[in-house]
Amino acid sequence: MEGDEALAGRAAAGEVAAFTELVRRHERRVRAFLARLTRGDGADDLAQETFLKAWRVAASFRGEGSYEGWLLRIAWRLFLSSRRGRREEAAEIPERADPAAGDADRRIDVGRALARLPARERAAALLCLGEGYSHSEAARILELPLGTLKSVVARARTALADELKGQG
Amino acid sequence: MVDESLDLELAALLRSPERAPDEAFARRLERLVVAEARLRAARRAAWHRFTMEMVAAAALLLAFALLTRSAPPPDSAGTIPLFGPAAAGLLLLALWIAVSLRPGESAATH
Repeated sequence: MEGDEALAGRAAAGEVAAFTELVRRHERRVRAFLARLTRGDGADDLAQETFLKAWRVAASFRGEGSYEGWLLRIAWRLFLSSRRGRREEAAEIPERADPAAGDADRRIDVGRALARLPARERAAALLCLGEGYSHSEAARILELPLGTLKSVVARARTALADELKGQG
Repeated sequence: MVDESLDLELAALLRSPERAPDEAFARRLERLVVAEARLRAARRAAWHRFTMEMVAAAALLLAFALLTRSAPPPDSAGTIPLFGPAAAGLLLLALWIAVSLRPGESAATH
């Protein structure tokens, strides 16, 4: 199977088929990331814009970090642009789950806690705690100094852990 | 100290769920990318045509300007000298015709 870097090179040369294969490979994570960031509001539109932007600037991917990381950086920038000038509205927070109810409800509680976090902490938590990105790659995606990123991740972890511990 | 089991649980809860690629989404992107490439090519062709027609129009104006400035030669007895402003103007006129009526195209299509 052809690697992302080779496909990205072909996409940069204008091969639509290569780009479509990259979309197939990475749309799941990009859309999930944006869905959690935007709390569902316009996530798919932003995902579509992300991939279109990636197509237009395909030649600018130089293999520093993963292709998916590069896509997520584009997605993060588009998310920030979409928020500019708009106050972030309070998320609809579901009822607190029954502590005895099980995994699905713990997912709701973590989702609830995630929705309460500022966007930067939400993004850092999703990348590092959820998807397993290293601090250095997450710092590159979110365009933060490494030290700042580590502090942001630590704050997010504490907030989410408190929510889980609160469930016993 | 980091609670490892809590980190594992957070990872499981925050990770995006596995699923097959969304083919409809991929196809939609493919259509948009193809449409954008076509639009870009059409825009490039339109700019090229516009530039050539502006050059042709400028040549035509220059030809008319040169023609209007040329005074009749004193002893020409009605003939136009081969070398002079009028000839230059006619040359530019010929250039405009050549640019506007490229092989395979008719003036009516412009």
